[in-house]
Amino acid sequence: MDALMLRSLQGYIIDTFGTSVWQAVCRRAALPGETFEPMLRYASGTADRVARHAAEVLGRPVETIWEDMGTYLVTNPDNDGVRRLLRFGGMGFVDFLHSLEEMPGRARLALPDLEMPEVELRELGPDRFEIRCRSEPGGMTSVLVGILTAMADDYGVLCLIEPGPLGTIQVKILDCAHSAARRFDLARPDH
Amino acid sequence: MPGPVCPLPVDGLSRFMPMYLLLDGQGTILSVGPTLARVLDGIPPPGARFEDLFEVRSPGGAMTVAEVLDRAGQRFRLMPRNRSKIGLRGVGMRLDEGRLILLNLSFGIDLIAAVRKFSLSDADFAATDLAMELLYLAEANAAVTRELRALNLRLEGARMAAEEEALTDPLTGLRNRRAADLLLERLCAAKAGFGLLHIDLDYFKKVNDSLGHAAGDHVLATVSRILADQIRADDCAVRIGGDEFVVIIVNRTEERVLRTIAERIIARVSDPIDAQGSEVRISASVGIARSVDLTPCEPARILAEADRALYAAKRAGRGRAVLLAPQGN
Repeated sequence: MDALMLRSLQGYIIDTFGTSVWQAVCRRAALPGETFEPMLRYASGTADRVARHAAEVLGRPVETIWEDMGTYLVTNPDNDGVRRLLRFGGMGFVDFLHSLEEMPGRARLALPDLEMPEVELRELGPDRFEIRCRSEPGGMTSVLVGILTAMADDYGVLCLIEPGPLGTIQVKILDCAHSAARRFDLARPDH
Repeated sequence: MPGPVCPLPVDGLSRFMPMYLLLDGQGTILSVGPTLARVLDGIPPPGARFEDLFEVRSPGGAMTVAEVLDRAGQRFRLMPRNRSKIGLRGVGMRLDEGRLILLNLSFGIDLIAAVRKFSLSDADFAATDLAMELLYLAEANAAVTRELRALNLRLEGARMAAEEEALTDPLTGLRNRRAADLLLERLCAAKAGFGLLHIDLDYFKKVNDSLGHAAGDHVLATVSRILADQIRADDCAVRIGGDEFVVIIVNRTEERVLRTIAERIIARVSDPIDAQGSEVRISASVGIARSVDLTPCEPARILAEADRALYAAKRAGRGRAVLLAPQGN
């Protein structure tokens, strides 16, 4: 998981703030190189450590950086892959929320040795949910907040997504048809 | 009939099996599920028969739906006649004492092509269908494969860069001793004809001593550019250490040619060099050896032969190229 988070962080910082900012983060974290490979393994804890340095370089809380990165993963127009894989989870946003519990199983279909976070969804009411995400690296919960925010937008749903007590995420759906959902064709558009 | 009977209305059929096909006992189509209707370019006209719409791929020899059910046992394969080229497979049974025939079809492995061709959405599949999971898996796998391919390319690039670095003299960008050894091994093993120039700079130590190492490095870089300019792509210019160079001229063994190259190098090296404001004058002595003068030609032997010629050039007064007659072969 560290590798995927590090690669995403690298892409997010370079695309958003420029290469020189990423280089500053790498120097500060005393990294041997400036490129993370998503398919290789890095020592556990590396993602959280690099993110802490990024927080210092950018002068903003580490949670905000992870959240924005989660949103970037879904909305980045150069890479529609993450959004598409997530959209396969459900027809609507609520359906999608329920599919979060399947996330580790889905990820293992493609990458059998990937350690995905355990996600638990509790339905508190017809439009209120509580999500608990247990994982190393610690930033994963914040990334999930960012992903959920972007996906709600993708489904055209207006909702409140906030970190709750004990590392939970609270989701309150305000309007299920707030705006038009972004188009999603089951067939991959690019060939 | 033992057990409970389940009366399922047609809209229920559509929900559970969006690709169902209901026929009468004679094979006339009564109704089709919504997804199958899209595959068939719309709801078939009244009175349409099974064999008008489908070609039976298995069981072999079957044409009508009755033949399919009689021969297939459990499973059969169909191809719509509308040239969509989407294979279907199905199961079927007779209902109501043979007055009705119910088939349920699915895409099987043609699922991805079908989704594309008919612009299907998740609403076109039964909620229990694993189609979504299969599409998801295909896309996730493609993403992983893309990443791995990109990783391989990046690693291959890094490996090539490292290899290049391992064969390059960092100061001058020429090849290094290791690269020269590899090339000589290869040429000798292939019994290829080649000439070898062993070049030693004259008066270089003086530059280093009087103007410092930075000026010396500048002179070495200038000489390296001269050597690189004088050779062709297949040849090889090497800094083997200090102010000593080797140039390997592939496929040329004529004395006249090798001597011309050596003299051109000496002339260019003897031009004044501007080293940080001071004009520096050096020269070069060259020992020439040829693969054709040695049998067998081995790397160590041809290097020794060139070294012997270089020594003779130095003794003869520097600034010249020498090719010695072969020694006792």
